[in-house]
Amino acid sequence: MFATIKNRFATTDIEVKREDLYKVVVQRDAIFELIFMLREQYDYQTLNAITCCDWIEEEHFAITYILTTSDRKQSFMVQTMIGREDAQIDSLTHTFEQAEIMERDLHEMYGIDFPGNQNLVELSLENWVHTPPLRREFDTLEFVNNNLSFREGRDGNMDVKKEMKRLRALKKAQKAAAKKAKEEASEVSDGN
Amino acid sequence: METNKHITIFHGPQHPGITGNMSVELDLIGETIQKATTHVGYLHRGFEKLVERRTVIQAFTIVCRICVPEPDPNEANFAMAVEELAGIEVSERVKYIRVMVLELSRLASQCMWLAGQSGSIGLYAVGQWAIADRDLILDLFEELTGGRVYHMYIYPGGVRRDLPDGFLRRLEKVLNHFKKRLKEYDNIFINNASFKSRAIGVGIVSPEECIKNGYVGQVLRGCGIEADVRKDAPYLVYDQLDFEVPTAQGGDVYARALVRRAEMDQSIHILEQVIDKMPEGEIMVKMPTHRKFKLPKNDTWVKVESSRGEFAYYMAGDGSEKIRRMQVRGPSLVHAFTLLEDLLVGAELSDVALIMNSLGICPPEIER
Amino acid sequence: MDEGFLKEQQVMESDLNSETSHKSSVDFLMDWFRRRSIFVLAYGTGCGAIEMPPTFTSRYDAERLGIRGAATPRQADVIIVSGYCSYKTLRRIIRTYEQMANPKYILALGSCTVNGGMYWDSYNTIKRLEDYLPVDMYVNGCMPRPESILEGFMALQKEIGDGKISSWQKYEDNYAFYRKNQEAVLGQTVAPAYDADWYLYDGGL
Repeated sequence: MFATIKNRFATTDIEVKREDLYKVVVQRDAIFELIFMLREQYDYQTLNAITCCDWIEEEHFAITYILTTSDRKQSFMVQTMIGREDAQIDSLTHTFEQAEIMERDLHEMYGIDFPGNQNLVELSLENWVHTPPLRREFDTLEFVNNNLSFREGRDGNMDVKKEMKRLRALKKAQKAAAKKAKEEASEVSDGN
Repeated sequence: METNKHITIFHGPQHPGITGNMSVELDLIGETIQKATTHVGYLHRGFEKLVERRTVIQAFTIVCRICVPEPDPNEANFAMAVEELAGIEVSERVKYIRVMVLELSRLASQCMWLAGQSGSIGLYAVGQWAIADRDLILDLFEELTGGRVYHMYIYPGGVRRDLPDGFLRRLEKVLNHFKKRLKEYDNIFINNASFKSRAIGVGIVSPEECIKNGYVGQVLRGCGIEADVRKDAPYLVYDQLDFEVPTAQGGDVYARALVRRAEMDQSIHILEQVIDKMPEGEIMVKMPTHRKFKLPKNDTWVKVESSRGEFAYYMAGDGSEKIRRMQVRGPSLVHAFTLLEDLLVGAELSDVALIMNSLGICPPEIER
Repeated sequence: MDEGFLKEQQVMESDLNSETSHKSSVDFLMDWFRRRSIFVLAYGTGCGAIEMPPTFTSRYDAERLGIRGAATPRQADVIIVSGYCSYKTLRRIIRTYEQMANPKYILALGSCTVNGGMYWDSYNTIKRLEDYLPVDMYVNGCMPRPESILEGFMALQKEIGDGKISSWQKYEDNYAFYRKNQEAVLGQTVAPAYDADWYLYDGGL
């Protein structure tokens, strides 16, 4: 199987992650051909998940399709990279019914478009108008600070870091004072 | 659409017969469902974003909250993924303790299911018993981990605490109690004529559909397919333990109930073996300080068998202290949409709660 | 005579003729009834809902204190906001709360309702429930044990019995404040305008 994939898709590295998990990275235009080949010739009949990982430094999303054989003993991660700007990749709903909900999830969280999926409406969020939340450029803490308010702390609330610093300095000063006193005492005894 | 014939109602989110905070929009003619649409998102907290902002060990404390009724598969998955990426090998004792925790949580979760499933057809006595029995397991958890529901126990690299003195003896006691009780559940619930008449022939799934659409757990096993991650891709020490994968024929609500009931027996059987075989050893490998604990740039896919089926995580590291991406694929994701929306078409309104409970749909793991 | 029904009867009777009593005997009687029949709305809004079944079933048995479930908001006295509130749920909670009949109480579980809790930096959960709805009692913890939920209920019962709670009144009086906060996170379409107790006004019952 590995030799066929290597020859046909001009890819060099097929990783064996565990004995039940393989991974291959292919070009974007070859990915569906590979998925269909795995499905028809090597019994990878189930699409388990579609995952996405945002590599903002390299300016692409890594889309991984996870396929499993019908006896559920082998899994194959088929990965491809798509650009972050106007990200889109064809839908798999025509082959796998369950792809619809997975693509809907990624569409909402990353803003990836899946041409061919009829049902890309919002799933978890309601009336969301900001950047899709799982993109790396979306800062959730900034969003919270802008939109929501926290309860003020207790009256005697202290900054933990400052307080730790203060206590440490205090301890140090005490130690130094004790040392100095000891030295003085020893000096006095030496003098005697 | 003819007037005065169609009616659209929302089943949930505020409804006693819903399995958590979600809703199903039903299009009815009379009492028969024409179209069902699942709505989720009432519990979306953005875990996957929160994990990206935290160091590995900080993230460990929040992952258990992803699935409320059964948090331990999440912890196990998270620990396994981190260990695989960082190349950590845990000791034999840790593996046995993890198996014990996972099986206990499976048993507790099945008790919760018993309560839900019986409540959905109005047999409330079973729920009263099952929840009280589940509390015995929660007491064990409390003794072991300090928490009743959220344990934060399966730490990457080991487990957080060793077993207390005499813990295994108390576990044995609880198991003996369960063995006695399960027969009573058979009498009052599984063999109950009113449950049979409601459950047999309702919510039928076909085996071909199962494989193609990626259904997992009891839905598969209820169709006679022997599928269990513990057998197919053994993790921890499940390959050294003796147990069966129960199956049933028919693919309906009753078949799934039979499978779940048989799984409770198997869990008890596994736990008894764990008590006998529990080895001595370290409970934690030496880990770097949590601020300096880095994951290499790599990704992986790990899965465990939860009480409702295969529970999987995709995890990617990027060479820093933080996890680049953690994606949760719970068993309910496909069940709640592709399967439930199909099954409900043609069903009666009164069977909605029954079918939802038999699929064990748990909304917090769908939307995270 | 120190506790139990006899004591309560004594207290009640002594109050009936007391001129210094801060409230009328009818109010006293009503509060006494209310604190002993608390119907809790069956709406598990967050993860704290997993401790509801143990609280209400045989082991902790909340029913012995007169606390039991109710299926619809029209029949419920208490809504439990059990943990974190995403925006989508908050909208439903507001709608449900406004449908409930007076007197009504809110019990908030978990650290998340107090100050965001574990999800303090989450983009989809609110941080302080009391900005949006009048909370009567907080039960702290992540998540609170059944014992602490019961304790929260008993504290609530005590306040109801003393006639101290009128949060629904507070909600009506400060509706502009609550509505402003609700609209800030949910947009203009929160829920239909809230006119409490329409059935008590002219043309109603």
